[in-house]
Amino acid sequence: MRPIGAGFVLLGTGISLIGTSWDVQWHIDVGPDTFFTLPHLFIYAGSAIAGIAALSVVLAVTAAQRRGETPDPRDGGVPIRVFGGAFTAPLGYLVTGVGAAAFLLYGLTDLWWHTVYGFDAVLNSPPHVALFTTISITMIGAVIVAASAREQRWGRIAMAISVPVLMTFFPITANAFQGLPVPFDSIVVATALIIVLLLVLTRVAIGRPGAAVATAAALLVMQGILWVFTPLATSWYADSVGLPMRDGMGGEPSLIPSGIPLLALVAAVVIELLFRRGALVGGGVAGLVLGFSFVLQRPWLGYAAPVTTVELIATTIAGCAFGVLGAFLGLRFGATLRLREKVTA
Amino acid sequence: MIKRLFALLAALVFVPIATAAPAMAYEPVNIVHTEHVQVGPYGLTVGFSTWPVRAMQSLDFTFAPDGGLDGKTGTFMRTGPSGSHTRPAPLVRHPRKRDVWGLDVFALQVEGTWKFDFTIDGPQGHGAGTLSGLQVLPQPGPPLALSWVVCALPFVALIGFLVVVWRRGNPKRIEPSGVPTGVAAG
Repeated sequence: MRPIGAGFVLLGTGISLIGTSWDVQWHIDVGPDTFFTLPHLFIYAGSAIAGIAALSVVLAVTAAQRRGETPDPRDGGVPIRVFGGAFTAPLGYLVTGVGAAAFLLYGLTDLWWHTVYGFDAVLNSPPHVALFTTISITMIGAVIVAASAREQRWGRIAMAISVPVLMTFFPITANAFQGLPVPFDSIVVATALIIVLLLVLTRVAIGRPGAAVATAAALLVMQGILWVFTPLATSWYADSVGLPMRDGMGGEPSLIPSGIPLLALVAAVVIELLFRRGALVGGGVAGLVLGFSFVLQRPWLGYAAPVTTVELIATTIAGCAFGVLGAFLGLRFGATLRLREKVTA
Repeated sequence: MIKRLFALLAALVFVPIATAAPAMAYEPVNIVHTEHVQVGPYGLTVGFSTWPVRAMQSLDFTFAPDGGLDGKTGTFMRTGPSGSHTRPAPLVRHPRKRDVWGLDVFALQVEGTWKFDFTIDGPQGHGAGTLSGLQVLPQPGPPLALSWVVCALPFVALIGFLVVVWRRGNPKRIEPSGVPTGVAAG
């Protein structure tokens, strides 16, 4: 029961991630859109699968509790009594389910938006930001589910998959802050913050040396899969519906895998090495590595204008500062993931 | 209860499918308004699939030089009402109307007077020309601030959730109960 529910939640979030990478690339390389494209089907099916899996587990746990069994917090997180005790929902599945339901509701908002404004696909329209946030919430639920089974091998594997999925997805929301008048690259710094936070969180939540490195290695594998899959799927889909690829594309690698720092594994090694001596210092150094390397990676892959020396220095320093913040948040949230006391809400 | 929940879920999935059917096909490029621009020796017809143009509302733009695209290349630069402009980008074929240059499902984001600058290089040499005074009307739909408020609710809820989690993770609250904080574990 436990690995099955978690497995379907992971499957759903993975499908959403693949669909998002495909959809973004479709808009860049091919263009025209309707509500019913194959990439959209992936995104919506992913949330539906994760949401139905979460709902099924909540109903099963509720039924077991009514039979007099005590809910096991290793089964998806601390049990939460919702609607005055009508349901008993493990925290992870509750968060996943709420995220998925909200995603489907905001899907309607997005549909309305496109009927009013047309199908110009911008990442940071209000409904898109809501959709990215709700998918992120679904993915956060998957991380809670995985962390709750940390003693089991499948739980640790689930953690090493669910965290990189969230790492890849959450920075997309950072596009909403792109126009902020700051001297550093806000997307680079937001990405560094999220990656350091989640690496430290994983190390603390799993409580074993090597957990952060394993997660970063899984992130690299995921990046490789998206790097290969995204352009192939895009050109195949364009062929199959009889649409040409746009003229004048520069042959850049796909946008979503390009948005993952290539040196996340180095950052994870730094975090592991400095974890006992000073996790905050480790986070700072990891943030520095990510800030410096990622701000150079983006123009190198063709996704940003060449970086000036001032931007490079400012972004590296900001990466370091936000890395410390990420480690600080990761320590506390990671510790919270280890809590197993019963909660009434 | 379970049946009701599944009915609700089914409705959430299928209502959009049923109501959005007309949006399923890739629409042909249907030009309803044109403007003529003289780009040096070349005549250029700028087509719009919606007229008048409104801010944030996407439409197809076509740029058709007299005599077709053969042997011609060009650039295109947009200047907004504030005077800020894009870098000149190469003119590329419209993906759904390959015999002309164009922009597909593209929106001008702000209302006001826009300007399009073109250059064309071809058999008759280099030419430059401008479509000025392109009026873009206010955006349709509710005020943008309202859209943002509604769509920021999940983000606000997420932050609220994280604050609650953060407070529960307070080491002072955890340690007396004997639950490991995790930082020292492993």
